[in-house]
Amino acid sequence: MSVSSETAVVLPAHLHARPAGQVVQAAARFQAEVEIEYAGKVANARGVLAVMALGATAGTTVTLRATGPDAAEALDAVAAVLTAAR
Amino acid sequence: MTRTVGIVLVSHSAELAAGLRELLLQVGGGSLAVEVAGGTGEGGIGTSYDLVRAAIEKADGGAGVVVLPDLGSSVLTARAVLDDHPVPDAVIVDAPFVEGAMAAAVIAATGADLATAVAAAEEARDVRKL
Repeated sequence: MSVSSETAVVLPAHLHARPAGQVVQAAARFQAEVEIEYAGKVANARGVLAVMALGATAGTTVTLRATGPDAAEALDAVAAVLTAAR
Repeated sequence: MTRTVGIVLVSHSAELAAGLRELLLQVGGGSLAVEVAGGTGEGGIGTSYDLVRAAIEKADGGAGVVVLPDLGSSVLTARAVLDDHPVPDAVIVDAPFVEGAMAAAVIAATGADLATAVAAAEEARDVRKL
């Protein structure tokens, strides 16, 4: 069964290299495909370069979208990493 | 957990390779197998057949090896080593050095297989930085 899920996260810190790496680690644990959208750009959460290239800065909002059998869990995991970024 | 895909950084400069390795470990995590073959055996700028061969051997934990050359003779040296001493699952990847290594290393750290790590490095050719 394929489920779609979406949530918005306000970034506490810039989405730079280290948090981008953590996003990939989190997203890769799930079957669901997770996308991050920022300012009209969309990045697959398993692509560290694309996530960094979003250029998302502290205080802005990114939208997370997940599709797949474990979409809700994948979304929670990626959102948790982004929320905890320093 | 099974071994992750190994990453070999072949550079003309030992410092360049070592610095990139440090960055990969920061972003990808400590479980990564990143080996460097930078500079000549005497510490100068250039590439060393012996250093490349040793790095590939060390990085090969059974899950395959992604070999990333920086420029020119790094490619030739890596090719010569693998022609002389074939390693079945070692792949020289045509990708930007920093971006390709980062993409391959981060996905390798998640336990991804060799084909996925190679594809991630190759995709780095098309990912805009700005």
